[in-house]
Amino acid sequence: MIEKIQALWPEIALFVTACVVMVIGLSPSAAVRRLCGVVTGLGLLAAGALAYTTPAVNPALPGLALYGKAMVAGIGLVLLLLASGTVDREYESFLARGGEGAGGQGRAEYEPLRSTKGEFYAFFLFSLTGLMLTAGATDLVWLFLALELTSLPTYVMVTISSGRDRSMEAGVKYFFLGAMGAATFLYGFAMLYGGTGTTSLGGIANALAAQRAAPGGQINPIAMLGLVLSVVGIGFKIAAVPMHFYTADVYQGASPSVAGFLAFVPKAAGFFALLSLCAAVGWGPTGDTLAEPLRSVLWVMAALTMTVGNALAVVQTSLRRVLAYSSVAHSGYMLVGVIAGPGPAGGGTLMTSGVAAVLFYLLAYGLTNAGSFAVLGCLERVRPDGQAEELDSIEDVRGLCQDRPLLGWALVLSVMSLLGLPPLLGFFAKLPLFGAGLNAGEYALVVVLALNSAVAAFYYLRVAAAAVLEPGQVGRGPVSVRPTTARWRPMAAFVSAAGVVALAIYPVTGWALFGARQGADARSEPAQRAAAEPALPSDPHAASVGATPPAPAE
Amino acid sequence: MLATMGLITGTAAGGAALAAAPGAEALAGAGGVAGVSVSAHGAPLAVLAIALLPLLGAALCALTAPLRLGGKLPAWITVGGLAAAFGLTVLMHSGVSGLAAGEALVAHGYEWIAFQSGAGPGDRFVAPFGFYLDSLTSLWMLFVTGLGCLIALYASEYMEHDVGLGYARFFVAFNLFVFSMACLVMADNLLLLFLGWEGVGLCSYLLIGYFYKKPEAVAAAKKAFIVNRVGDFGLLLGILTIFGVFGTVEYAALFPKLAAGRDALGEPLAAWVGWVVPLLLVCGAFGKSAQLFFYVWLPDAMEGPTPVSALIHAATMVTAGVYLIARMFPAFTLDEQQWVLGLVAASGAVTALWSATIAMAQHDIKRIMGYSTISQLGYMFAGLGVLTTTGAAFHVFTHAFFKATLFLCCGAVMHGFAGQLDLRRLSGVWWVKGWGIIGAAMLVGCLNLAGFPFTAGFFSKDTILAQAFVTPGAAWVGWVLLLTAGLTAYYTFRVFFRVFVGPVEYHPGQDDHGHQGDDGHAHSSQHGHAGGHGHASGQFHPHAPRWAINSVVGALAVLSIAAAATYFVYPQEHGWVGKMVGHSTAAFAAPGEHHSGAHADPHSDAHSTDLRSNGAAHAAALGTFLGFDPHAVMYYVSALVGAVGIGVAYLLHGAGRRTAATAGADGLLRNPLVALVHRGAHRKWYVDEVYHALITLPLWVLGHVLHLVDRLLVDGLVNAVGAAPKLTGGRLRVQQSGVLNGYAVAMAGGIALVVLLVVFMTN
Repeated sequence: MIEKIQALWPEIALFVTACVVMVIGLSPSAAVRRLCGVVTGLGLLAAGALAYTTPAVNPALPGLALYGKAMVAGIGLVLLLLASGTVDREYESFLARGGEGAGGQGRAEYEPLRSTKGEFYAFFLFSLTGLMLTAGATDLVWLFLALELTSLPTYVMVTISSGRDRSMEAGVKYFFLGAMGAATFLYGFAMLYGGTGTTSLGGIANALAAQRAAPGGQINPIAMLGLVLSVVGIGFKIAAVPMHFYTADVYQGASPSVAGFLAFVPKAAGFFALLSLCAAVGWGPTGDTLAEPLRSVLWVMAALTMTVGNALAVVQTSLRRVLAYSSVAHSGYMLVGVIAGPGPAGGGTLMTSGVAAVLFYLLAYGLTNAGSFAVLGCLERVRPDGQAEELDSIEDVRGLCQDRPLLGWALVLSVMSLLGLPPLLGFFAKLPLFGAGLNAGEYALVVVLALNSAVAAFYYLRVAAAAVLEPGQVGRGPVSVRPTTARWRPMAAFVSAAGVVALAIYPVTGWALFGARQGADARSEPAQRAAAEPALPSDPHAASVGATPPAPAE
Repeated sequence: MLATMGLITGTAAGGAALAAAPGAEALAGAGGVAGVSVSAHGAPLAVLAIALLPLLGAALCALTAPLRLGGKLPAWITVGGLAAAFGLTVLMHSGVSGLAAGEALVAHGYEWIAFQSGAGPGDRFVAPFGFYLDSLTSLWMLFVTGLGCLIALYASEYMEHDVGLGYARFFVAFNLFVFSMACLVMADNLLLLFLGWEGVGLCSYLLIGYFYKKPEAVAAAKKAFIVNRVGDFGLLLGILTIFGVFGTVEYAALFPKLAAGRDALGEPLAAWVGWVVPLLLVCGAFGKSAQLFFYVWLPDAMEGPTPVSALIHAATMVTAGVYLIARMFPAFTLDEQQWVLGLVAASGAVTALWSATIAMAQHDIKRIMGYSTISQLGYMFAGLGVLTTTGAAFHVFTHAFFKATLFLCCGAVMHGFAGQLDLRRLSGVWWVKGWGIIGAAMLVGCLNLAGFPFTAGFFSKDTILAQAFVTPGAAWVGWVLLLTAGLTAYYTFRVFFRVFVGPVEYHPGQDDHGHQGDDGHAHSSQHGHAGGHGHASGQFHPHAPRWAINSVVGALAVLSIAAAATYFVYPQEHGWVGKMVGHSTAAFAAPGEHHSGAHADPHSDAHSTDLRSNGAAHAAALGTFLGFDPHAVMYYVSALVGAVGIGVAYLLHGAGRRTAATAGADGLLRNPLVALVHRGAHRKWYVDEVYHALITLPLWVLGHVLHLVDRLLVDGLVNAVGAAPKLTGGRLRVQQSGVLNGYAVAMAGGIALVVLLVVFMTN
């Protein structure tokens, strides 16, 4: 029991912060309420610091929990900047004006029931808690609960994100389809339990290995069916085909800040879960491939996800739908890394370990994606009737680099990085996926990946061209696009843009990749080593002291 | 500077001990890592300044434009920076010349690109920003920085009509060019060489297109850039192949592997490596050095300002191809047959003859020099092809000086006579007041180019010619080159006799630089006037060169003469250049050369210590020149050929000339057959027209077809898809509540398909 709690300090920190935020969000004093965001940030910082106490819990992927939690805390801070000011902005300004206008008469008292601020930040933290728990999951029941803790708060966040009908509709859709996805992988988990007799991931790994070692050498069909159903169900979290249908509607319905959250948090949870499950199956005794029907299912999912995502993104005119479908495509790219596995025994390197590639890609994607949604969230368009609404069409960013250079170039940097243009972060994230795919012998899939990367250029460049090449709109007729009042949101865009450039500088990338590789260090040593050493000697900070890139051959 | 000197000389003393000897076990075993660790302490980082000074100069020149620092400041920055770089190069040379044969210093700047793709021996890609210093590097850098400095001084006066933004732009590109060239020549790995290679290409593009308002200049710049892309692609493939085979692009690790004939894993090389790698490298060299099929860009490149033509398109950049082949010579001798070198020799000889014939029929003196450069580059390639790297490098060295002299003289004429370059409209320039130095320098340059006895060009050309007759199977190359030597003497002195001597008559050109007070167009009506002495075109006064142009041209003429002296030092090793080449990776004992007979075993001789081994055993296989020893008789034969060429030029263009437009050759041209040949050569054998029909036109048509497809098909599709939601939007909005069901059904269907797939596969 004590060991379990020792592994959970960051989650506990986030949980405690969430409870605190829920209380102060209801305070009658506006000054105290304003602290919600600050307290959330402090909680994330504390969790990030505590993440380094995480021991190796999953013998198959000893570094996953540590890397995952550190990354979640870091990206969480950017997402927090993005999410700030999502809810209650109008209500707070109404109170600050003393309730005048907009139907208020004279002094307005604070009504806790009309405020959703506390809930919003608390759900934000609960979801991240769930994500961290997913990274450290060692048991199917734990995994299921962690995945649902990640997802359930997001349903609410979508619904309350803009207070308009569209987000309510999106929230309901998301909830129902999400429940269907959860049911699918829960059914899969149950069959996996039926086929192996245990819910522990380590036990499942042993049972599956025993089944393969037995004469006949096949994984129990029930267990295999359970695995496949689990993978497909988790596909909902990562928005993979055939579970991707909700993506565009939900991303478009939610406010951009929550959409940016959705594009990272459930996706990361899904990939943590997929990696844990695949590690239990094992990428084969010599590190070559996954067990057969599972590999084929993942292969088809990866190819279809990339292709469908990109094909649909090409024909969109709504910028948010473009980003939504591109998020589908990015999941497809990452599935290549999942299929490729951790590479040759003895520890994969930058270009051979698909697991490291996925983990690094998650970091890069989370950062970059937050930036692109942040730019959208910083702006709003004014309808002819004077009502403000969220930015949607690609038309709205025309000439942005001229009108608002900082935001414009932040957008351009983000989409260029999402496209994978060297020398930005996205390129260094995508390159290892190619390397790992080739190393695993998945040549056809790498070709599909390359073709899709080329297709992606079409719509990303369209966005960048609209922002860079078109003349500015300010000073030509009525201005229809203006900045929102969310003060912290531009910071998210700038942090992301800076990160996209800074992380691409070699030593920094090397450091982050080092972390990802440690996270992916699946078979480098026998699992006993991880069990014997509770604190993995892979503290990324310790490695970065010398600012040395990863040693060539460890 | 003093500290630098101490650093360099100190290291020169310890150089031998610290030198990364390519044959050493440590290097061969551990690849680049060991080389880096040795040299990081050993080689003086100050040599990086040779490249970085011009880069700094480029930045400073760029700063002068926004700061509105007028005047000639950019020129003085450039001259100062390049003079300092030249000084450092001289110091570097003194350090390098102390090394034994086959040794080199490696100055390791920093790890520019490092990439780990696996744990295997070929899975680490490293390209440091570092310099590999041996005598070949030193030879090239001496004339790159030295000539760069002199030509920058010349340009300070030549470009003065453009003082201001254009002046700054010119010198930024000029500095950037020297930086790129330094990277190309001094790189310690092929990737950095490629960076320099592309950099000089870019600067060449920028400088050819310097007069960007002139459509011909823009077209010429584009042509140069695009033609070079084709060659550069080959070079890139070659570099990638080298990495693929040898697992490294660093010279220090590559040369031991080449010498041993082993790939990255220590296995013997496959047979294809011996010809694929050289062929790809040669592709790049042909593009950059304007050899056959690629040469079309170089004549057009004369649209650039003349200092650029002198520095980039005559002396330095276009010899990069020679440098590449010389540097990578061990790769060319991997194959026993060495048929790629045969190709190089053949192509060089044909290029030399081909462009010499074109040069004979041109009227624009700068273009004549352009074609002459191509022809001389052909000589150098032929020299490489017939296995005399020494001859090729020596010709590069002498050619750099005398061709720069010739170009700068032509430039002075162009500058002084308002852009006039037509040899039918200029005559007796030497006799005009203030043109004495230019005329004398032109004579020196012409004598060198024509291979007049005891000039530098004479010795360097002879080395190649003689070797062509010695190397088995290359005699036809020798005959072609000998014929070309005669043609060269003819067209060179055709220019000299028509433009620099004879009756004084001149007509200003079209552009007047705007600072002479009168307009060139105003005097065109007076053309055709048979000018008497001193009575030229009306009020037009030629603009005599001042001190900067005169001193630079004079200095270069002196250097052209002095270059001949280098042939007589170190006679055991074929002169100073021979010693430099012999101590570098280009060392290759040509068959029949006194100090080696190792032709039959190319792998052993690159760094062989038994350079003294007797060549007699192979003497039977060596060719002769009509039964004589080519090395002995070639001096007389080529002197005779050169004299005949000069004599014919005098008869046709010098003797008894009354006006600028007429000459003795006019009578000859009335013969229809001669006129036909002349017209063909004058129109450059219609190569541009053929290229246009075979390459440009089909691509143009294809481009337009693709554009139509894009417009009609792709855009149409996208627009149709975009329009569909608008058309159906009304109905869909009503059914909004049904979408959720639809999604759920689609997801369930997908799951069902997956389950079916699994059930199907497990049974």
